[in-house]
Amino acid sequence: MSALLELREVRAGYEGITVLHGVDLSVAAGQVVALLGPNGAGKTTTLRVAAGVHTPQAGRLLLGGRDVTGAAARDLARAGVCLIPEGRGVFPNLSVRDNLLMMTFTGRTRKQIEEIAFARFPDLARHASRQAGTLSGGEQQMLALARGLATNPAVLLLDELSMGLAPLVVSRLYEQVAEIARQGVGVLIVEQFAAAAFGIADHAAVLVRGRVERQGRPDDVLRAELSALYLGSST
Amino acid sequence: MTSTETRADRFVREISELKIPDPAAGRPRLWQRLGAALMVLGLALGVSAYLISHRTSDSLVQGDAITIGLGAVTTSVVGAALFVRYSLTGFLRFWMARQSYDLNLLADRLADKDTAPRP
Repeated sequence: MSALLELREVRAGYEGITVLHGVDLSVAAGQVVALLGPNGAGKTTTLRVAAGVHTPQAGRLLLGGRDVTGAAARDLARAGVCLIPEGRGVFPNLSVRDNLLMMTFTGRTRKQIEEIAFARFPDLARHASRQAGTLSGGEQQMLALARGLATNPAVLLLDELSMGLAPLVVSRLYEQVAEIARQGVGVLIVEQFAAAAFGIADHAAVLVRGRVERQGRPDDVLRAELSALYLGSST
Repeated sequence: MTSTETRADRFVREISELKIPDPAAGRPRLWQRLGAALMVLGLALGVSAYLISHRTSDSLVQGDAITIGLGAVTTSVVGAALFVRYSLTGFLRFWMARQSYDLNLLADRLADKDTAPRP
């Protein structure tokens, strides 16, 4: 299967500061790609470029083989690119049900959206009337993920899914992500901590100072990273 | 659309049908700068028109100066409108992001308060 999402030689930045210096990355249907790297490496910028939220200074964004660089993010979202940003991005003052109601812009009814969300995350059904801001971090992340899934995405972009969550909650969320990928959705996960994402990733890339330093099978990347860390050289 | 079409196939089809406008990166900033330039140009033209009319008693030249003066006013007004329009867009975008951040912060605080053990 050819790549659903592809970044080619992408350079991007903010206010004259270049953050990405020629990033190449691709995600195929049903593939889970983990993008790792330290703080400030450009992981979130990479996701923003992939979602069409941030226009690159140079390079190309290809979706389904077509160059869509500069296309409006809303058009890409309608076609099936779904970005779940860092920090959950739920509406804290609205109830869980009302947060899900927001996704009716996709053309699905409230009932259909709730069926999808509550079937995948039964915990949300129990708190359907509660304000989203009063949910635990894990439940808020579930809500964010459920809202994303309600759009029936073809490409799912996840930014720091595990941030601030207990390991048990993270592992449950990643089980869901793996299940989503098995249904043919291309998933790009950005994580600062490798262990969380490596369990389900088919492919891993390490971003350092805006460049993909390493990519390949997760085990190989991890071995190379450890080797670089302890022996001071890359393999 | 066929019934055997997978989500990935549909995605590829929808992307291929997508109408993509020209990349508009940096266009708002260009308009904002153009607005500022037009305002300055309008002022310069206005001063020039005043000086031209002041230094002559020829009514034809003074007529030209009036025309330049009117052009200067128009240029300044258009420039100011462009500048305000695109400055406000940037400011409102920032303000909305700030609002959203503050609300999230407040929600986190409330959640912490609810879950904190009572004395």
